[in-house]
Amino acid sequence: MNKLKPLFARLNKFPRVALVVIGLFVALGTFAPWLAPQDPSAQNLLQGSLGPSVAHWLGTDHLGRDTLSRLIIAANTSLVSVGSVLIIAMTIGILMGTIAGYHRGWVDDLLMRVVDVGLSIPSLITALAVIGIVGPGYWTMVLALALAWWPMSGRISRAVAVSIMSKPHIEALRVLGASPWRIYFGHLLPGTIGAVMVYATADAGTAALAVATLSFLGLGIQPPTPEWGQMLVDALPYLESDPRQVILPGLALTAAVIGFNTLGEAIALNRIPKPLTRRMLAMRRIEVAGWAKENSDA
Amino acid sequence: MIHFISKRLKHSLVLLFLASVVCFTLVVSAPGNVAVLIAELRGAVAVPGYVAQVEEEIGLNKPLLMRYVDWLGDAVTGDFGISYRTGQAVSADLPHRMMVTGTLIAGSAVIATLLSLLLGFLGAFWPYKLPDRVSRGLALIGASTPTFFVGALMIYGFSVTFQLFPSFGFNGPASWVLPWLTVAVLPAAVLSRVVRVGLEEAMTSPYVLTAKSKGLGRTAILFREALPNITPVFINALGTQVGLMTATGIIVEPLFAWQGVGDYFLAGVRFRDFMVVQACLLIFLTFFIVVNLIVDLAVLMTDPRIRRQWS
Repeated sequence: MNKLKPLFARLNKFPRVALVVIGLFVALGTFAPWLAPQDPSAQNLLQGSLGPSVAHWLGTDHLGRDTLSRLIIAANTSLVSVGSVLIIAMTIGILMGTIAGYHRGWVDDLLMRVVDVGLSIPSLITALAVIGIVGPGYWTMVLALALAWWPMSGRISRAVAVSIMSKPHIEALRVLGASPWRIYFGHLLPGTIGAVMVYATADAGTAALAVATLSFLGLGIQPPTPEWGQMLVDALPYLESDPRQVILPGLALTAAVIGFNTLGEAIALNRIPKPLTRRMLAMRRIEVAGWAKENSDA
Repeated sequence: MIHFISKRLKHSLVLLFLASVVCFTLVVSAPGNVAVLIAELRGAVAVPGYVAQVEEEIGLNKPLLMRYVDWLGDAVTGDFGISYRTGQAVSADLPHRMMVTGTLIAGSAVIATLLSLLLGFLGAFWPYKLPDRVSRGLALIGASTPTFFVGALMIYGFSVTFQLFPSFGFNGPASWVLPWLTVAVLPAAVLSRVVRVGLEEAMTSPYVLTAKSKGLGRTAILFREALPNITPVFINALGTQVGLMTATGIIVEPLFAWQGVGDYFLAGVRFRDFMVVQACLLIFLTFFIVVNLIVDLAVLMTDPRIRRQWS
């Protein structure tokens, strides 16, 4: 329990709403197949568009599928696609950003100009253009979104990489004759990945929104796989008779995005990567002293 | 001043050139033979030599650079080629579609500006009190709700339940209200934070302290001292949001059955009609560049510090 304390202390700095919502989203997404009470794609046309009951807690859609199960499975769909998008986007972004931050000069100028252009075009338009050329499909959607998303992590990782490269220990490594590969893989890359990951979690909300939007437009996740945006568009023709089927997936998605956005705001306010201040150094020292004490206790 | 404008114009021209290159390469790199597609469309793919004739007709057999120059020359004069899906000219109803999208963006921009100023000022007038919390909460919800969900809620609330406004179509101001509101929600939420944070920053600055010590009231300080100072920042943010509205339009236009550029772009993407995708993309990119240019000029007008720097 003692070892968990620093973890809790760190988590306590984040807004509680964000932690609860994100925790719920990740838990639901990970364990969805075991949590869903019924088969999400089992149709029963005789029991379509029902209200809440003991058998179907949140009612059924127009094809008689259990809405609660579909909402839970949709969390899984969303989590997996958002995860893939962010992993691919971050890999590209971190690579480009660290290369730009390591080399500076014209490489930096060129890459950052590309990033500028990428950032100035709305991600939905970039993603749709890619889908329009390659053709729709699950992996096209993931790749298209990753292509629209990498400039953000590219810019952050470049900023972090530049600040790392200007630190004295890199200079010391150079003087000691460390190879560029060692500096790049041993010091620059690990330092950048950590910082960028923090920001990427804040981006997850907009990524989830983009996945849902593409699915809503019929160019992302295809039926019968449940997904919030696609459930919403599926129920839209029945808006007048059965608004619940439109509102529930919308609320689920909104809640998830609110969670990630609150987290993102907290990160933007408190944790902008900056050189260590004296206060932070002192805190680090206390933390490290704590580890030493724990180790000597054991 | 003149120097700044000429430099900025040159910058925009370079960006326009890059945008055209992006649009051109996107379609050139698309898989599949365009000439076969068109020949199929005309039902003559089996006629011997017809594919070659089509290639000749649309200039596919020319070198890439020549094709780019031809395409750019056509595009500048408003000719975006032939749609693969319908066989008609892409530019046929483009002016009308641009007018529709323009109506959407202009109306939403006005609503978003008014709403965000109202919310931001509420928050700045009573900082960290109830109005501020409400405005902050609304901003968070507004920025997090998916646009298509906002649209569905608008239709359900204003059209199904209360039957105040029509839920689809582009005929008359009454039918414009719901799409305008739908598109305006997200920018209003984001901009209200810009106003709120900007005002708070301005309120802690020395010139406000001076104004306070002269005995000016809070309202007078907010409107006479702080507002002019956040105007350039606000215009910058508004420009970004107006650019983003093109993307929101892609979602909202089909939802309300508006035949705008966004709707056209989406249809092009759905049916892989490259010429339509290309034309709409070029229009969008040109729009961003023009908006950015206007924003920079407007900031120059409203911020004497930058103006002095360049004169």
